[in-house]
Formats: sequence, C-alpha cells, structure tokens
Amino acid sequence: MNRIEFMTELAALLQEVPEEERRDAMQFYNDYFDDAGEDKESEVILELESPAKVAERIKADLLGQQTEKEYTETGCQDGSRDEKHMPARKETDTGDYRYQSSGNGYQEYRYDGEAQNTDKQKPWSSNILKVILIIAIILVGAPIIIPCALAIVLVAAACIISLFAFFLAIVVGFAAVAIVGVVLVCAGLMALIPEIAVGLALIGTGLILGVIGAIGTVAGVKLCIVIIPGICRGVVWIFSRPFHRKAVA
Amino acid sequence: MVFNTGAALLDAIVLAVVSREKEGTYGYKITQDVRKAIEVSESTLYPVLRRLQKDDCLEVYDRQFDGRNRRYYKVTEKGTTQLKLYETEWKNYSSRINGLFEGGESA
Repeated sequence: MNRIEFMTELAALLQEVPEEERRDAMQFYNDYFDDAGEDKESEVILELESPAKVAERIKADLLGQQTEKEYTETGCQDGSRDEKHMPARKETDTGDYRYQSSGNGYQEYRYDGEAQNTDKQKPWSSNILKVILIIAIILVGAPIIIPCALAIVLVAAACIISLFAFFLAIVVGFAAVAIVGVVLVCAGLMALIPEIAVGLALIGTGLILGVIGAIGTVAGVKLCIVIIPGICRGVVWIFSRPFHRKAVA
Repeated sequence: MVFNTGAALLDAIVLAVVSREKEGTYGYKITQDVRKAIEVSESTLYPVLRRLQKDDCLEVYDRQFDGRNRRYYKVTEKGTTQLKLYETEWKNYSSRINGLFEGGESA
C-alpha cells in the first residue's frame, strides 16, 4: 500500500462522518505524510497500521463527543464537561481519583457523574408523559369517539350483510328459474294430451328455463364460494388493523 | 511500558509539547515529540489534537511551507491554564506515588 492508496481508503472509510471532520482529518494525515517525507512513507504507513484503524480511532472519538453533547442537551449543565476534563483544585487536598480512572482509556473517562443519571431518567419520564397524554385524549375524545365508532361499526355491518344478501339472492333467483323450468316441463307434459302444440311449447320453454336455472345456480354457488371467504378475510383484516397498530406502538 | 497513559495525561503531554513552541507547531513534529516521552501509536494523536482544538485549548492556522499549506497548532490561553492545572495535579500525584515507593518519605 502506498500513500495515495492509504489516503483514498481513509477518505472512503470516513464517508459517514461530517464533512468538516473528514476534511480536517484528511488534511492532518496529508500534512503528516508531507512532513515525514517520501523516504519515510512506507514507515509511516506501517506505524499507522491501516486506514481502518485510523478511521476507527477518529470515529470512536467523535462518538464520545456526540454522546456528551446529548447529555448537555437534556439539561446537564454546560460547563460539566470542562470541569470533568480539568483536574479540579479541590481534589488536590482530598486525594485524587482522576489518575486511577485514566488507565481505562478515553470512553470511560468521559462518561461519569450525573450525566449517566439524566440518561437513565429520560425514558422513564417520557413514558409517564405518554400515558398521561393517552388518558387525556380518551377523556376529551370519549363523547365524540364512541358514537362515531359505533356508527362506523354499524355501517360496516350493514354493508357486509347486504353483500351476503346480494349473493344469496343471485343463487336463490337462479334456483327459482330452474324450479319454474321443471314446473313448466310438467305442465307441458300434461297439456300434451288436449293440445299438442301448446304442450310442446311449454315443455321446450320449461327445458330452456330449467337448464338456465341449473347453470345459474351452480355458477352462483361457485361465486359465493370464491367471494364470501374473501369478504370474511377483508372484514377480519379491517377490524384487526387498529389492534395491530396498538401492539406496535 | 507497563503503565497506561490515560486521556487526561495524554492531553497534558500534548499541551506541554505544543506549548514549547511559541509560534506553534505541526502534526508530524508533535507526534515525534510526544513519542520521545511516551509510547503511543501515531493514529492516537490526531483525535487528541482535534479534541483539544474543539475544547478551545488549541487553535489552528495554516501557513505556507515548502510551497504548500501546513497546519499549525498553537496553545490558547485556556490551554495554558489547563496545562498549569495538569502540571500541579501531576506534581501532587507523582510525589505521593514517589513517597509511597520510597518508604514513607514523602517529597
């Protein structure tokens, strides 16, 4: 790996950090290579280990700072960081804990004291707030929401029932046609003796109606078999949606 | 080295190194100077310098050198105050440890 490869890879690895940070880091390492000189290029690359390692260090440090910023935003006093960072004069007399903790490296050194407490309290207070809000919404909205919900449920039920009735009517209608056909055939057979022409005409009409009725009935039943489960599934889906959403929230 | 160099001590060392140059100094030289005193990998120094810069302990400026821009670091007033605190702290700390090691004769 040479210098250009190293810098290219470092730039790629720093894509996710803010542009200002990336530019600053790139300038630093570019200067670094310049000042080390061409003959030390490979030595420097060896010392830096890998672009991944360099990028990781930069990101780790940025992450530490961001977490700190969050603490100050949640109401931790602004100066806390500097106080923590600076060795306080008070500690000189009472005995010094600072250097004990310094062995643990950056991250641990930075997260201490009240900052952690505010972090723990945050989810608790926001949960309580949520519950209060929900109760308030229910109390205020009850007189409007309950009748509206009732109306929606009733309308939906009416729609479903009328859909069922519609398909049932198709089946019944065709069945009736088939029955009429059969009756006409019987009537035609009886009319054959006094008047052949009328009897034949009745039998013919009866047969045609019977066949149409039979086909219609079968088709209607098939249609119901296909559509009714579909409607049922649709209804179940519509009613289960609000519950699903509640479960997710 | 057996002993770890923590964040505070590293900050103190970097501040001390930079403060020796009144006109300011640059990344490569800082790294070399720090490495004369302690074992530290080259990739550790940049985040420290960046952090001190953000904390207003160091300021940066670019100056022409050899036909290119070179970034210089300089200790600010705040950085000097901070370094003094670190030095006092270190004296206390090391004298107590020395006292312990040398058998009750605290310095």
